[in-house]
Amino acid sequence: MRKGFMLIASLLAITATVPVFAQAAFAPSQNIEWIVTSSPGGGSDIYTRIISDIMTKMNLVNGKTILVTNKTDGGGEVGRLTVSRVPAGRQADHTLLTFNSGDLMPMVANTANRIENFTPIALMAVDKQLLYIGEQAKYKTFAEVIAAVKAGKNVVIAGSKGDDVATYKLLIKELGFSETQLAFITNNATSDAITSILGGHVDLVMSKPAAADQYVLAGKLTPILALSSTRFTGNLASAPTLSEVGPYKNVEYPVWRGVVGPKSMSPAAVKFWSSVFKAVSESEAWKTGYIEKYKLQPFYMDYEQAREYMTDYQADYLKSIGK
Amino acid sequence: MENFEFLLHGFQVVFTLENLIATLIGCLLGLIIGAMPGIGSLAGCALLLPLTYRFNPTTAIIMLGGLYYANMFGGSFSAILLNIPGDTPAIMTTLDGYPMATKKKRPGQALLTANFSSFIGGFIGMIILTFTGPALANVGLKFGPVEMTTLLLFAMTSIGWLVGENPTKGLILTLLGMLVASMGMDTLTGSPRYDFGNVYLLGGVPFTPFVIGIVGFSQVILLMEQRNTAPKLVTEKLTLRGSMITKHDVKRLALPAIRGGILGTFVGVLPGAGATAASIMSYSTQKSFKSEEPLGTGAIEGIAASESANNGAAAGAFAPLLALGIPGSGTGAVLLGGLMLWGLNPGPLLFKNSPDFAWGLIASLFIANVLALAVSWGVIPFLIKILSVPTKLLIPIITVVCIVGSYSTSNSMYGVIIMFISGVVGYIMQKFQYSYAPLLLAFVLSPMLESNMRKAFIISRGSVQIFVQKPISLVFLIAIVGIVLFPVVRYFLMRIGVIQPKTAR
Amino acid sequence: MSTASTEKRHFSINQIIPVVSAIIAIVFVWLGLSKYGFWNEQQGPMSGFYPTIIGIGLFLMSIVGFIFSFKDKTPIFPADSWMAVLGALGIIAASFLIGLIPSAGIYVILWLRWYEKLSWKTTLLTFAVIMAIVIGCFVLWLQVPFPRGMILDAIMK
Repeated sequence: MRKGFMLIASLLAITATVPVFAQAAFAPSQNIEWIVTSSPGGGSDIYTRIISDIMTKMNLVNGKTILVTNKTDGGGEVGRLTVSRVPAGRQADHTLLTFNSGDLMPMVANTANRIENFTPIALMAVDKQLLYIGEQAKYKTFAEVIAAVKAGKNVVIAGSKGDDVATYKLLIKELGFSETQLAFITNNATSDAITSILGGHVDLVMSKPAAADQYVLAGKLTPILALSSTRFTGNLASAPTLSEVGPYKNVEYPVWRGVVGPKSMSPAAVKFWSSVFKAVSESEAWKTGYIEKYKLQPFYMDYEQAREYMTDYQADYLKSIGK
Repeated sequence: MENFEFLLHGFQVVFTLENLIATLIGCLLGLIIGAMPGIGSLAGCALLLPLTYRFNPTTAIIMLGGLYYANMFGGSFSAILLNIPGDTPAIMTTLDGYPMATKKKRPGQALLTANFSSFIGGFIGMIILTFTGPALANVGLKFGPVEMTTLLLFAMTSIGWLVGENPTKGLILTLLGMLVASMGMDTLTGSPRYDFGNVYLLGGVPFTPFVIGIVGFSQVILLMEQRNTAPKLVTEKLTLRGSMITKHDVKRLALPAIRGGILGTFVGVLPGAGATAASIMSYSTQKSFKSEEPLGTGAIEGIAASESANNGAAAGAFAPLLALGIPGSGTGAVLLGGLMLWGLNPGPLLFKNSPDFAWGLIASLFIANVLALAVSWGVIPFLIKILSVPTKLLIPIITVVCIVGSYSTSNSMYGVIIMFISGVVGYIMQKFQYSYAPLLLAFVLSPMLESNMRKAFIISRGSVQIFVQKPISLVFLIAIVGIVLFPVVRYFLMRIGVIQPKTAR
Repeated sequence: MSTASTEKRHFSINQIIPVVSAIIAIVFVWLGLSKYGFWNEQQGPMSGFYPTIIGIGLFLMSIVGFIFSFKDKTPIFPADSWMAVLGALGIIAASFLIGLIPSAGIYVILWLRWYEKLSWKTTLLTFAVIMAIVIGCFVLWLQVPFPRGMILDAIMK
């Protein structure tokens, strides 16, 4: 009994002293739990695991282990809600959440959860999409696609959820088509969309460069439209932007990848994490092993800029869906 | 024969001491992970992935391949011994495996049947994979939304064979399973559906906790009744020699296992179908073939059909994964992620650019198949001891395993609560003589059917004609009509005296 | 329907499954039609299309099941069985307070020693085996982050 009491007393003593350290400067003192709200092997999961790998190799987290946890319940909403509700304390300072534009859109559209319930830590990169055709494509260029739609033909684009849908809506708005003229099939992942175009079941597929890369190399997919204000580089350079195709404005819906923490994360911890992500974004491993390899654009923002950016983004998006 | 040479070369790559040890470790881990409810090969591979960074890619991937593969063997252990499917593809194995182990008192034979059928199914799948490779993957691509819709409709009509003696009860549960499965996010519109304002229901009812509850936990509640009358599940002394299967058993398992292997491989290649769907389809197909004992009472044919199909599917799924870079399952996606981290690009170029690796992986699957069989054979004498543990002790053990396992599937108490509710519901259902098989089957197939059907309608702009215009789809439609009309036609033929009714003799 | 036959038909727990499934069917059909939409001229089926059709089927089958249910034998639900349910419920409830693993451990000891009245030796042996599986496999190897419960969370703060 007495021993037990002593143990609790000493535990209390330790916990009482922790905040003193925390105010001075923060360093991880336990394992870090990093939550990803999509399945292992997907784009967000690879992004998270690459960063955590770099952090461990560069010894940026005080020798502690980063546990990447995939919480996919409720289309990711459950994981996001859990993180937003972590109470202030040691756990809150050791909890991270991968947060992309593709996570923000369904979250604010379908739930009452908002970016204000999190602490933005950093933005890391920007991704963009292209439209590709398959080998047996009926329409070889995007101009032919536009002509076919105008002639009343059924043209179908396959893509993923979240930001692909947003880009698609922007595209048909610019082209002046309805959702039935140029239809879109929402798949669970880009890989499913690519499967359906390889089988010739749809006319076009929307994808980010990473997921389509190998198919372009093998000649199975050909990019025909860059959903960007400038052309892509390398083997994607052949795809024109929309303004080059006809009398339209360019369509671009930037997809950002970032990281947030619980709302209750202490300011010292936020500063610490923000600087860790900065170090990752400047590392060679990140530049060649992620940005270049998957054709993203570096887009580092610290916690203050990221907060502003994400909040503005949310406001714009809410306005666009009329909420 | 060119492929055969490549395969031989693959074996040369794999046969290093390091790689063999890696495969063996992968197999052992896979068996354990497979046997533990809640943790599937997906989590196993994801957890092992960081550990394998230090290895060279070939060693690492064959270790993961071995794990993924042996997982299918392990899943049958807990299905047969505890009536809890260790992983979801083993659901159908519980239907005959558990009765065979407990009611027929042949646990060793049940486990061996499962192992041999897994081996046969996997072996068939690998042979098909070796000789058709990329071509097989292309067959899978032919199945777009339209073809998948009619194929799934065809598979659903074969549920008719599963509903058993009481068609009304079977149909009620089938339809109920379809409704429960429709809860959550509607992927095609990206909007929530039947979530009743609950953030957890937004993701729908998670399948693994649901299965653990309805099959496993309900079993615990049922065991409570007999724990004083039957102190042990199996009282006889169980020895390795007494567990050997007889020649007659081998004869019974061979045909269903071969059929299951071929069917499973094919289903594994199809986009988004997977091993669970494969074993369900194979099991319900077995209903239309002859089995010595009725399925569901502990028939060897049932175990063989289910286990061979899920291993066949596991092998078949490698075809689109390697040849096209399309992951057929969550585990496939992790393997794919792993390949990319090592700088390999699975996809159309893999066989050309990294033949050592691709053929090494296929060769390692063959080795994993043999090793998994050997290892699981070796543990059978220890495993069957579980059944001589007194029921009174098994009850709290299984309860804890159900709770811990269902928590582990999504790291949330939501899984545990779903497990608990479905366990109680499953218990009540079984008391009223409702069998859970059609419910689980509908739960797996129904979401695939719905999304493919709606995609087909988007492609056709709401026109039904598309289903008759595509040849593959038309074939399945004719088959469905045939199945539905068969009893009617037979009735009329009997009426006009063309065929004699069986009972008239 | 003749009164003679209905007199015999007493409502009992036998009707519970068909009645519950019919209610579920009505809820799904109603929500499907009113909230999620059935058919769009141009794009074909909408969110509520499939569940509505299935729901109508379930409703019809429930009626058939309801009629047949009077012929069923009424099953007995022994009180003992519900102890297993209560036990699991106890673990779930306690896990919010003291964490999942301690709850499971305490449950095993209480269950075997006080409910089943087994010897301390058997109880502790079983306890050790279960804890070895749970802690060894799930916690240490698979690193499943089990909930620690409110009390420990408060202390760890």
